[in-house]
Amino acid sequence: MADNNNSCVALYSAHDQAEEAVRVLQKAAFDIKKVSIVGKGYHREEHPIGFYNTGDRIRFWGAQGAFWGGVWGLLVGAALFWIPGLGPVVMAGPVVAALVGALKGAVAVAGLSALGAALYSIGIPKDSIIRYETALKSDQYLIILHGNQTEVERAHEVLATGKPTDIAIHLS
Amino acid sequence: MKPESPFFKESVHCLMQSPLFSGLAQSVVEEMVTRCRRETWKRRRQLPMEETWQRFHILLSGRVRLSRSNPETGRMITLFLLGPGDPFCIFSLLDGKPHDVILDTLDDLSLLSLPMKEARQWLYEHPEFNRTLLPYLGEQMCALSGLATDLALHDTETRLARLILRHLDAPATVQEHISPRLINNLSNESLAAMIGSVRVVVNRQLQHWKQEGIVDSHRGYLMVEKLNDLTQRAEQKLADTADTAPATLQ
Repeated sequence: MADNNNSCVALYSAHDQAEEAVRVLQKAAFDIKKVSIVGKGYHREEHPIGFYNTGDRIRFWGAQGAFWGGVWGLLVGAALFWIPGLGPVVMAGPVVAALVGALKGAVAVAGLSALGAALYSIGIPKDSIIRYETALKSDQYLIILHGNQTEVERAHEVLATGKPTDIAIHLS
Repeated sequence: MKPESPFFKESVHCLMQSPLFSGLAQSVVEEMVTRCRRETWKRRRQLPMEETWQRFHILLSGRVRLSRSNPETGRMITLFLLGPGDPFCIFSLLDGKPHDVILDTLDDLSLLSLPMKEARQWLYEHPEFNRTLLPYLGEQMCALSGLATDLALHDTETRLARLILRHLDAPATVQEHISPRLINNLSNESLAAMIGSVRVVVNRQLQHWKQEGIVDSHRGYLMVEKLNDLTQRAEQKLADTADTAPATLQ
């Protein structure tokens, strides 16, 4: 069974809950390289948003700059994409590589955005993706733990004790 | 699953439609769903029951085949084909033991699961569930006895006709253009495994019926065109057909 095609996906309605979930996974000794986070990049149109690097690492300019800066400091990979239908989407972790892979390979899955195609490529089924995209549009955050079946089941146990609005495991 | 989950309502709705849970109050079903974990499994996943029996699973969408096979001959017999609303590992729920069964996912699945211990606790707390569980188990036992009877007493044509008829849920008054549920779009090999036969024989039989206008089939999609004729085939006994059936169909 391919490690990267199993995942535990949790939805959070607030960024501080999502950040806490990342820290809980880190405390529970999960490999932080296998954790991804996805959220919308802006919440009020009057705020400028940006993505910059003035020194050692990439930073995010916007209402949630501190949050994304902290998350990017913890996780591997960072990106901001403008995705039709979703707007600016900020993400970190292996999901970035999946999205770039989907874009490079021109992966198209009927009815799904580029982000949806990326999630599909990591083993998440279409009907779940549609709900996740809807949740992202309503300013929720996705935390994804990629791993083998044992890891994703353990992640479910750990994260279910927090405050996710939804949590599921996706097995290939 | 939490009640605020975007999947909660549809999960409850799916269970309320199933024979096993439909007799329960919605609040009881909702309480069951809150104890469960939501999972999705990809199509073509094959698992021995040793990997699944410690959790009780309820299908929300997709189909699962439970089968046994002989590793020496490669022959396989399908014991159950399950669809939305059906549970699996139900025998392990009752006796607390794994069973020698292989589980195949025929579609991408969405399901609920909870540890067996919690499922038993839920059963203990909701004895009213037994009113639907016992008839459901009775149906499963009848299905197994039907399979044993078919294998022992009927020829392939009769077994295939009976299989298709078991999966029709149209009213008896409808005589044509009925599509069976669950077994539709299965390969002929899968159909063969459900009646203890092989792909070539099932393929030949379906072609034969197609020429007679009894069924229509394209890429696994079956349509019954002459229900009465198919019913007649299903009612044939081995003894009646032994002299007349073509040897190739035995």
